[in-house]
Amino acid sequence: MNASNKLLEVKEVRKVFGEGQNETMALKGVTFNVLPGEFLGIMGASGSGKTTLLNVIATMLKPTSGQILLDGQNISSFKGSQLAAYRGDQIGYLFQQFELIDNLTAKENIMLPLAIHGINLKEQEQALRQLSKLFDIEELLNKFPSQLSGGQKQRVAAARALISNPSIVLADEPTGALDTKNAKILMEKLSEHNQQQESTILMVTHDANAASYCSRILFIQDGVIFHELRRNVPGESQEAFYERIVMVMAQLAGGSSNVL
Amino acid sequence: MFFDFVKRNSRKTRKENGVYFASLIVSIVAFYVILSLGEQDVMLYLKTIESDAVERLLLLIPVLYAVSLVFVFFLVYFANRYQLQQRSHEFGLYLMMGMKQSKLFLMIMGETIWNGIVAVCIGLPISLFLTELINLTTSRFVGMGIIGHAFRISWTGISLTICGFFLVQLLAMFILSFTMSRKEPIELLHEEKEKSQSTMTPKWGAVSLLSGAALLIGMILLCIAYGMAILYLRNFDYRVFALILLVGVCGTFILFRGLGSVIGVYVKRKGSSSTGLSMFTARQLQENVLHQWSSLAISTLLILMAMVCFAFGTSTALMNSAVANRTVDYTFHANNEDDIKPLIQSEELAPYVDSYYRMALHNFNPSEDEPLLNYHFAWTGLIETVSSQDDSEPKEILLNNLSMQDTPYFISLSSYNAMLEAAEKKPIQLAGNEVAMYTSDDTGASYDILKDILKKSPTVEIAENEYTLMPTLYSDQIVADRAITLMYSLIVPDALFEQYFDADETWLWNMTLKDEFIEEKGLMQAMLEVDQMLNSTGLQYESYLASMGRQLFYTVAGSYTTFYLGVMFLIIANTVLGLNFLMQQRSTRSRYQTLAMLGANVESICTSARKQIWLYFILAISVAFVSGIFGIWSLLTAMPATVFSFKNGIVIGLVVLLFIVMEIGYIRMIQRKSDVEIRKLKEID
Repeated sequence: MNASNKLLEVKEVRKVFGEGQNETMALKGVTFNVLPGEFLGIMGASGSGKTTLLNVIATMLKPTSGQILLDGQNISSFKGSQLAAYRGDQIGYLFQQFELIDNLTAKENIMLPLAIHGINLKEQEQALRQLSKLFDIEELLNKFPSQLSGGQKQRVAAARALISNPSIVLADEPTGALDTKNAKILMEKLSEHNQQQESTILMVTHDANAASYCSRILFIQDGVIFHELRRNVPGESQEAFYERIVMVMAQLAGGSSNVL
Repeated sequence: MFFDFVKRNSRKTRKENGVYFASLIVSIVAFYVILSLGEQDVMLYLKTIESDAVERLLLLIPVLYAVSLVFVFFLVYFANRYQLQQRSHEFGLYLMMGMKQSKLFLMIMGETIWNGIVAVCIGLPISLFLTELINLTTSRFVGMGIIGHAFRISWTGISLTICGFFLVQLLAMFILSFTMSRKEPIELLHEEKEKSQSTMTPKWGAVSLLSGAALLIGMILLCIAYGMAILYLRNFDYRVFALILLVGVCGTFILFRGLGSVIGVYVKRKGSSSTGLSMFTARQLQENVLHQWSSLAISTLLILMAMVCFAFGTSTALMNSAVANRTVDYTFHANNEDDIKPLIQSEELAPYVDSYYRMALHNFNPSEDEPLLNYHFAWTGLIETVSSQDDSEPKEILLNNLSMQDTPYFISLSSYNAMLEAAEKKPIQLAGNEVAMYTSDDTGASYDILKDILKKSPTVEIAENEYTLMPTLYSDQIVADRAITLMYSLIVPDALFEQYFDADETWLWNMTLKDEFIEEKGLMQAMLEVDQMLNSTGLQYESYLASMGRQLFYTVAGSYTTFYLGVMFLIIANTVLGLNFLMQQRSTRSRYQTLAMLGANVESICTSARKQIWLYFILAISVAFVSGIFGIWSLLTAMPATVFSFKNGIVIGLVVLLFIVMEIGYIRMIQRKSDVEIRKLKEID
């Protein structure tokens, strides 16, 4: 992978909430890149600014300053229909609370981003079959969300995030509402997709277990990137990487003076 | 502090539920308008000439008022039930923060009262303005302006409006908030959760089969009701009526019960080929129908009732607006000329009188005094000519009518000519063996066919002679009293008339007023003046004005009350539909956010919601419309006095059009509200 071939470039992004005395700077100039096929994790304590960062990248929030380039396009300056064309097509989303539309069946939910972007659904049946096989939801396609367990719902949501073959999948605490077993299944499936299809995933989490599936992790604290961990591939096992993550987290909790 | 809190909360409620609040105001206006009917100029005037009928109508108004209170109660109850459910999370928080349950109850009631006060403050001035407007319009329309118009406020109307309005609101809210405030905080905190698709659970096949059956049964029941309404309703048997009502109502409910899953089947079939948000739109509609089938059915029935009310009101207004030319101003009931002559020639009255004459008419019945005369009468020749016509409904009616009129009234030619002369019309010239046909029913179904047939010079038999009928059909008003009508009578030469009846037996005397006097004073004022003079004499008389007044009364009373009910039904139906939709939209707003995140732009989301509103309303309206066609059809055939003429058809069509425009207006209003709600979702832009 070559460094010039950046998929996502986040340049000096700042985000200020409130005005005057109430002004809070949630992001204080964050810069990093995401390469194609990367599985990037962003970790940090509550209030560190990680969700703000994800929301800014997801176009849910506009940065106060700075640029976000996806495939060389500055998506932070997009408006209205330009934005709509990017969402769900170029960017896939995975939410903590699944956000499935509960009066649509699993299949209808998965196909929704395609329908919205006016893509012929019949031609995409193949993609649907592959994804439902990968996420083990073939039997659930005609069920409604209320008939699914949390783990099943999140796997359906993951299939929905990937169906349009987006440039990047943004995942906000995808395992946050799941038990350990289901969280493990989901992460394995996502990781499998990442490795086989070379999909790019950007995941915000504070779960070290989930983070250990990533290839690189950025630690964020008080609105700045504070540390970076890279999984040594090949060679480093997931367990070993997990140990390293936990160590950084422990140091983070103890204050910056203990780190490095 | 607590009061401020209540005020703030109620302002929020008003803002968020503008549609409901507007309906409250409209119902206040409607209440006042019906309650102040007795104070209207027209009614005050009618009271002086038709006091009994007006009193009876005014007795009916409390009943109408009570009925509409019941309807408004349901409106308030359902609208607030959704509203409180929406806010249950908020109430749960209040309880968690230490608010006492009694205080929560007080708070909800306080908000209701405050909102009620605001609604009354806005609604009452509007109602006063509107009643004034109606007052002026009707006065002008019927030419009553001369009688005098004064601005009146019906204080009983105002107090009853306020009392009823608050009673209904407080009762509904009492029931709702009482159950609400007794709940545990945890129940309240979690009540807001979106409803799951319980009706589409595992037994999918069985459910859709049942729903399909329900749909089918609903349709069959409705068809039975329609058929029965057309075939049997005209007999006015209350048992048949009750049965039709039962079958129809059940049919409507069952139809909507089954509709939801059928939409689901449609979505499933179309699912793979749909693009954009059409699948989402259909699923949303399906969910609405599944959860709100009973309110959809109720709204449908209300819209149907509104349609029938409008149709009835229109035809009542139409039927009586056919005012014939004025031919006679006064008709006295007096046994001989000496009773009225001194009066008419008196100094007081004489300057106003144009002419007076006897109206000699008599039933052609065998009299005991003259047993030797031949009283044979037959329509033979006429019936033969009618029978030779092509088969048609008017022909059947005419034959039927003729067969029942075997002893018609005879009108003496000189009387009729005197009337024609007074009205400045050409008198009739009868040849020796000629008689002329007269009918006062010039709007009936058989009028036109009879007119045509007379041109063929048919004959009738009187005693041993055969007489030819004149080619003209006469139908001028022969007396002032419009209640006196003659189905078919004959204008006969005086010689023939006097052969059977003594002209002095006549008890009807007509009088007409001078045209210049009427032109100077206006018809109403002139007649009122003469009325005053006549009243002091104790003579029995009937005036054109009183007769007009009676007609006017039926028109005003009939159309006013039915239109009132129609409007009430329509408001309630639309509000129920609109509120249901908006409430559902709000409770599922996270779906709209998700759509935006998946790349749907605001426009397409708004379009989807607008489509949902269209379809939702059209579902209810179209079922009501189909039922309405049959309802109005059977109404028009069941009412013996109503004739479905082409003109009536056009006017009814116009009313239907107006109704459609009103519905579209309402739909647009809900759509705008929905757009605002969607744009409010902050993640979208």
